[in-house]
Amino acid sequence: MRRDFADRDELIRYLKVEFADATALDDHVSSTRGGRAAAERTLEKIDPPRYAATRNNLRGKVSRLSAYIRHGVLSLAEVRDKALDMVRSWRDAEKFVNELAWRDYWQRVYAQIGDQVWIDREPYKTGFAASDYADDLPADIEHGTTGLVCIDAFSQELRETGYLHNHARMWLAAYIVHWRRVKWQAGARWFLTHLLDGDPASNNLSWQWVASTFSHKPYIFNRENLERNTERAYCKICPLYRRCDFEGDYASLERKLFPRKPVDEDWGDRFPPARRNGRKGGRR
Amino acid sequence: MSELIVWVHGDCLSPTNPALAAYQDAPAIFVFDEALIASWRLSLKRIVFIYECLLEMPVVIRKGDVAEQLTRFAERHEARRIVTTPSPSPRFKEICAALQQKFELEIIASEPFLDYSGKLDLARFSRYWQTAKKHLFE
Ligand SMILES: Cc1cc2nc3c(=O)[nH]c(=O)nc-3n(C[C@H](O)[C@H](O)[C@H](O)COP(=O)(O)OP(=O)(O)OC[C@H]3O[C@@H](n4cnc5c(N)ncnc54)[C@H](O)[C@@H]3O)c2cc1C
Repeated sequence: MRRDFADRDELIRYLKVEFADATALDDHVSSTRGGRAAAERTLEKIDPPRYAATRNNLRGKVSRLSAYIRHGVLSLAEVRDKALDMVRSWRDAEKFVNELAWRDYWQRVYAQIGDQVWIDREPYKTGFAASDYADDLPADIEHGTTGLVCIDAFSQELRETGYLHNHARMWLAAYIVHWRRVKWQAGARWFLTHLLDGDPASNNLSWQWVASTFSHKPYIFNRENLERNTERAYCKICPLYRRCDFEGDYASLERKLFPRKPVDEDWGDRFPPARRNGRKGGRR
Repeated sequence: MSELIVWVHGDCLSPTNPALAAYQDAPAIFVFDEALIASWRLSLKRIVFIYECLLEMPVVIRKGDVAEQLTRFAERHEARRIVTTPSPSPRFKEICAALQQKFELEIIASEPFLDYSGKLDLARFSRYWQTAKKHLFE
C-alpha cells in the first residue's frame, strides 16, 4: 500500500477507497493523530498528582494516552517510568500507575482466557438471568436520540472522536446494560467499532465489570454523580432535568432497576455454588 | 536475499519496536488483517490512526490474509525466519501457528510493566494489585 501522501486529507481519501467496508460502517476521522511523535507530545503533558485529584471529572487531567498504549506506540513500562520520573515520591504517581495496572491486569486475563472474553465470566448479580437481556443495541442509543442529553452526547462523541472519558464509558455502559437491559456484548461490540483504543481485553472485561459478570455487584450511578462530575454541562441544558431516569438515591435506583435482587444479598468476592467447584475465580 | 523478515503487528506500532531495533536492516512488513477488521467491525477512524503510526515506521504495508502475505513476503526475500513482538490475542497465536509450519519464529518482548514471574491471582484486580504494588514501587 502507499506511503506517500501530501497531507492527512489525501491519506483519508485513499483509505476511504481501500477500506470501503470500514468506511461504510462509520466514516468519521478522529482529531487524535496516530504516530510516535504525537504519542510523545501527549506523554509530556501527563500530570500524575493532578490526575489523582481530578480523574473522575470529565474535565479532569486524564492522559488521553489510551490509543497509543493500546497499539504499543508507547509501552506501559515507558509510561510508568515517565510518571515516576515526574514526581518526588512514588505516592504522587500511585493512582496513575494503578490505572495503568488495570490494563496490564486485563491483558493478563486475556492471555489466559482468549476469546472467552466474549462470554459471561460469571452470572449477572442483578436478579436477572442473561436471557432477560436484549441481544441488540437499541437504535436510539446508537444514533444518540434517546432524549437524555448526556447519553446522546456520549454516543455522538464516541462516534465522532473514538474516545470517551472513563467515567462516560461507565455511565454509558451502565445505562445500556442496567437501564435498558441490553446484553453487555451488544454495547461492547459497538464500542469496538468506534474506540481508537478498543481492544477485547480492556473493553469487554470493563463491560463485564459494569454488568456484574466479572465483579461482585452491578455498577450504577445517579444524576447527582453525573452532574457533579461533568460540571453540569449536560444536566444544565437537559429538558428532563430532575425527572430523568437517573434521578434518585442509590437505594431507590437499585430497587427500581433490580426488583428481583434480594436487598441483603451479599455475593462478596465469592461465586455462586454452581461455579465454585472445579473452576475457581476467573481462572481457567 | 535476507535471512529474516520483521513482522510488525497492531500491538506494537512504535519505531522503537524491539524486533525492528534488533534487526535494523531486515525487511519489515505490516499487514492489515481484513478478516479481523470485518469481524471486529472496525470503522475508518481506527484504520487512519494505525496508518498514521505506520507512516513513521520503516515498514511495507499490505492488507489481506496475514499468514499468506507474510509467507509471500518472506519467500520473496528468501527468509527462513520471522521476527516479531508478543501479543495476548488468540488471533496472534493462530497466525503464529500457521507461520511455524514453514518458518522459524522469534518473538522479542519489550520491557514488561510488571516484572514478576511468581504466582499472580487474577480472580479480581484487587488481588493482582496487592502483589503488583509491592513489585512496582519497591
Ligand atoms: C465500558 C468500558 C469500556 C472500556 N474500553 C476500553 C478499551 O477498549 N480500551 C482501553 O484501553 N480502555 C478501555 N476502558 C478503560 C478506560 O476507560 C480507558 O482506558 C481510559 O478512559 C482511557 O483514557 P485515558 O488514556 O485518558 O486514561 P487515563 O485515565 O489517563 O489512564 C492512563 C492509561 O491507563 C490505562 N487505563 C486507565 N484506566 C483503565 C481501565 N479501567 N482499564 C484498562 N486500562 C485503563 C489506559 O491505557 C490509559 O490510557 C474501558 C472502560 C469502560 C468502563
